[in-house]
Amino acid sequence: MKKFLVILATVLAGVLFVGGIGAVSSISQEEPPVLAATLDGTTIDTPNNGTLPHATLDLSVYPNSSDAVPPPKEGPYQSAWLSGQPFYHPSTTIQVPANSVVTINFTQYDSGGQIYNPFFAHVHGTMDGTMDWNGKSVKNVKSDSVGHTFTVHQFPEASQPYFFLSIPLPMNAANAKTDKSGYPVDPQKISVTFVTGEAGTYVWNCEFPCGDEYQEFGGPMQTRGWMAGTFEVVA
Amino acid sequence: MTMTEVPQEQPESPTNRPPSMHRFKNWMRRPYARHVMIWTVVIGFLLLPLCWLLLAAMNQTGAPASEIMQDIETTVFVFTLVSIPITAFVFAVLLYSLIGWKRISSDEPPMQESPAVFTNRIGVVLWTVVTSALAMFLAVWGMIELAQITANSYGTISANEQPGENQSVIVNVTGQQWVWTFAYPQTDGLVSDVLYLPVDKPVYFNVTSKDVIHNFWAVELGVKIDANPGAVTTAGVTPNKLGTFNIRCAELCGMHHAYMETEVRVVTQEQFDSWVREMGGGRTS
Amino acid sequence: MSSVAPALVHSAEVPQPAQHGKPGGIMRRLNFGTGLLGGIGLATIAGVVTSQFVPSGYSSPVTFAPMEGEYVYLAVLLGWVIGFMAGMGAFVGPMRWLLGRENTHVDAEYMAGKDLGRSRYWKYTTDHKVVGIQYLIVTLIVFAFGGLLAMLIRTELGVTWAEVFSPAFYNSIIGTHGIAMIIAMIIAVSGPLGNFIVPMMIGARDMAYPRLNALSIWLLVAAVPCLVSSLFLGGIQDGWSAYQPLASQAPIGMLGYQMTIIVFALSTGVASVNLMTTILTMRAKGMSWSRTPIFVYGIFAAALMGLYAFPFYQYSQILSLSDRVFNTSFFNPLEGGSVWLYENLFWLLGHPEVYVILIPTTAVLMEILPVFMRKPLFSFNFAVAGIVGVVALRGLVWAHHMYMTGWAPAVNYPFMLSTEMISIPVGFLVLVVIGTLWRGTSWSRLPLMAVYAVIFNKMIGGVTGIYLSDVPADQYFHGSMFVVAHFHYMLMGAGFFGAMGGIAFYFPKMTGKILDERYGAIGLWTVFIGFQLTFGSMFVAGLQGQPRRVLQFDEQFAISNWISTIGAYTIGVGTLIFLGAIIFSWKDGPMVSGNPWASKSLEWQTPTPVPLENFAVLPVVTERPYNYGVPDPYDEELRAHDGDELESAGAR
Repeated sequence: MKKFLVILATVLAGVLFVGGIGAVSSISQEEPPVLAATLDGTTIDTPNNGTLPHATLDLSVYPNSSDAVPPPKEGPYQSAWLSGQPFYHPSTTIQVPANSVVTINFTQYDSGGQIYNPFFAHVHGTMDGTMDWNGKSVKNVKSDSVGHTFTVHQFPEASQPYFFLSIPLPMNAANAKTDKSGYPVDPQKISVTFVTGEAGTYVWNCEFPCGDEYQEFGGPMQTRGWMAGTFEVVA
Repeated sequence: MTMTEVPQEQPESPTNRPPSMHRFKNWMRRPYARHVMIWTVVIGFLLLPLCWLLLAAMNQTGAPASEIMQDIETTVFVFTLVSIPITAFVFAVLLYSLIGWKRISSDEPPMQESPAVFTNRIGVVLWTVVTSALAMFLAVWGMIELAQITANSYGTISANEQPGENQSVIVNVTGQQWVWTFAYPQTDGLVSDVLYLPVDKPVYFNVTSKDVIHNFWAVELGVKIDANPGAVTTAGVTPNKLGTFNIRCAELCGMHHAYMETEVRVVTQEQFDSWVREMGGGRTS
Repeated sequence: MSSVAPALVHSAEVPQPAQHGKPGGIMRRLNFGTGLLGGIGLATIAGVVTSQFVPSGYSSPVTFAPMEGEYVYLAVLLGWVIGFMAGMGAFVGPMRWLLGRENTHVDAEYMAGKDLGRSRYWKYTTDHKVVGIQYLIVTLIVFAFGGLLAMLIRTELGVTWAEVFSPAFYNSIIGTHGIAMIIAMIIAVSGPLGNFIVPMMIGARDMAYPRLNALSIWLLVAAVPCLVSSLFLGGIQDGWSAYQPLASQAPIGMLGYQMTIIVFALSTGVASVNLMTTILTMRAKGMSWSRTPIFVYGIFAAALMGLYAFPFYQYSQILSLSDRVFNTSFFNPLEGGSVWLYENLFWLLGHPEVYVILIPTTAVLMEILPVFMRKPLFSFNFAVAGIVGVVALRGLVWAHHMYMTGWAPAVNYPFMLSTEMISIPVGFLVLVVIGTLWRGTSWSRLPLMAVYAVIFNKMIGGVTGIYLSDVPADQYFHGSMFVVAHFHYMLMGAGFFGAMGGIAFYFPKMTGKILDERYGAIGLWTVFIGFQLTFGSMFVAGLQGQPRRVLQFDEQFAISNWISTIGAYTIGVGTLIFLGAIIFSWKDGPMVSGNPWASKSLEWQTPTPVPLENFAVLPVVTERPYNYGVPDPYDEELRAHDGDELESAGAR
């Protein structure tokens, strides 16, 4: 009996240990708060899908945090190597309604440069294949003046519709006039409109090398909350 | 049942059978030898459905969509079949040792109960010959299949020499964290995030990566090749089935590795051409 | 000097150098505590000094990465390892030597832990039995750490509808799990049993280089915190293989991995040299190669293969570290480096390392079998031939991990051939095992149960390995869950169960207690059932086409992953039961005699607890190691013969 109790205690201690570590780590790895696109009550006619409700969402990209814009989250160990890195604001966990027309308004404060793969300097997956850049309708930006991209891609579920969206966000000139936080006074304003299908979960990340380490694809590029996140189409 | 049971058989009357047959027949008179042989056969037959079950699991997403995948499945089938006899024999001995031969579970060590068999030359030679033969068979089979797959991948005639319709499609596959892009150099700069292929036409992939190592895996087509930064690797296939199939990344490539998936859509030549025009790729040259 | 009295060592007078101070000198003050103190102290100093020297905000001109963290972490790791080893007393020997103060006999006896009681386990003790126990404890700790991470992985994969962990953290737990388990499995048999048992088995009083023995274990202990620390600094996000250039993208935790490997490879190299020298030179009188137990062969083979393999690993990580910290470009394709160079260096370790794990575990079960079957090992020569064959071919198969890399498609043919060929010597070992089972009266005790489990798993692992050795089939299976299931069947199925069997077998010798049969068996079979569930269904997931190292996958793989996760928790519970049995038996188990299994090999002829220096009088070996059994009742003509002639009259 005593043996049994000792062993039971060992098992319980082990389970508690595993559960404890799991709980602690899952809390410390908590996803950024959900940022949902809001339906604005209007409807829009689409060429292929009829008339659908319209929702909007605002996203900004900052080159680094400042007093005005706090960094995404202060994980206990992440701040050491992610401070001073670019990030999407206010969140990277994005929700949009299914079967709707969604407009995302980007405000891009970062500089940029040459992208590796010109494919991502083109607009993909919007309603008419274009985006609105500072009031002009364009299909692509020059591949040497990309700031970031917002690239939504597949989640490995066969049961959800294929979805691909890639928006290049043009860079600000290196000598652009800045305010006292160091951000350009006239940031790049990009607006894109796309149609969502049935509900599904996707991920997105930036395809412009804006992090650090090899090919500048480490650091914020590989951290949710900075340059990557989830993109959920909810019914 | 146990080895303490001393055999009762008498020497046989002389026949014209070779002495090895005598020996074998004598040996098979021992109960355990008969039992292990029977168990081997039974376990072998129990394992036999695995040949088909493995393929059923492989075909769960869809049956092979190319000659190459067909060859791969044949190889898996043959390998399962060939390894069943040895596996069945080992399992039979294992099982028989647990429940057939004598077992003692006293606290005190039993003293000197088993026959002191130090070796058995026939057994050793037989085992060596059989396993070596099987290994050689598998190696030779693998080489022949590999040669065939290589031929199926790249063909015997280079792309330039093939005229008109039979000419192959060239696709430059680029892996980048964490999206695949497919460029069609024979068109006017068409690049896509989904792989479109015409059916029954050879396709050549030039695979490379912009950053880390990826692995381009077109599951049902049986294509798998690393996308290495700073190098171009090649693969080829002729899809022979219409439909939508999976492309996955099979080499850990960073945070969104699990999400580096896309589709390959195998369509008819007409659909392919109209897709190219629609995407602004001009005509397929 | 003439005034110094010679010491009486095993009834021989040995002239002694002058005694300086008390026996042991400064070693009297050093233990694990001072080691920790030294390590943490020097790490702190190194970190603070380095951070003063690096200009604030300095980033690499090549990668734009902020370098301060990298330099500080590297300095902290180096400071920890050097400080810890200094605090343990690793440098005292060389220092004494420099000062010309040779160790006297009493010094050496103090170093071996004479009359130190339990505190000798916390010191830089040279006694091989103490080192063996220390290895056992470290193995268990690393194994528990890796197993915990395995539970987290399976939790993530079992929850198919959501991400439990962020992808970055998930990637770092799979990497850390991988390398922790690889380390645990490499040392699981060669460490505890190789150190504790081998010298006794060959009739030696200690290892050839006792101080190197202590060095190897404490280097290993120094490596463990390097590994654990990386988990808190971004982790090893690129699998245990740490392929370049992905490793160059990882957060600074990567340095922890690289330092772990560099230190661990050093520890392994030291241990390998020590084991090989011991086995070659210190076998008892009369222990010819045909009278040397098969386990000694196994350990020798493992040491030899380890000595060949680990330097590759060490080089690859030194170059990797240099790429990262000093902006070299060995593996950076943008600067003319090659990723295939890394892959080759890595797998030149990677495949021999598999045999470093498998050969000792197979050898230990060959040691267990004759004792519990009360039967000689079937065809000893064939077993040796199998081991020699594996050792001979081990260096010729590594590129089968690179079939699909496109490195050199033409070499796929020879590597496929060599990989298929290595299944022949491995097959020899299978024959030896089932030949020993053949017609044996089994004494069914816990170690034998483990042997049955190992054979079963190894058979499945071996057969599935055939698919992977074949290029066409590998074209489907490479990088899929099938591979994961296969190597778990091999490394865990053979390695872990073999280690459980080995520990159960040698437990009475190591601790003087017997491992609780009942709870040990419950633990073992729980693990076994869980194991089949986990990795059996993982084969299915692989066949269906699930890539490895993913945290989200198509729902068609969900069922196999749920079963797998249930199995994994079963393994966890079983392991804890087994662990509980170990701890409970160690603490309160009944005492047993020196030779509870009635084994005939040398190590069991010593009293338990084994005295310092094992044998008062060195033994002389006069017969083969496995002379068990009675004459074969089926074989009339053999009754006339006896002893060694049995072998030559074998064929019937």
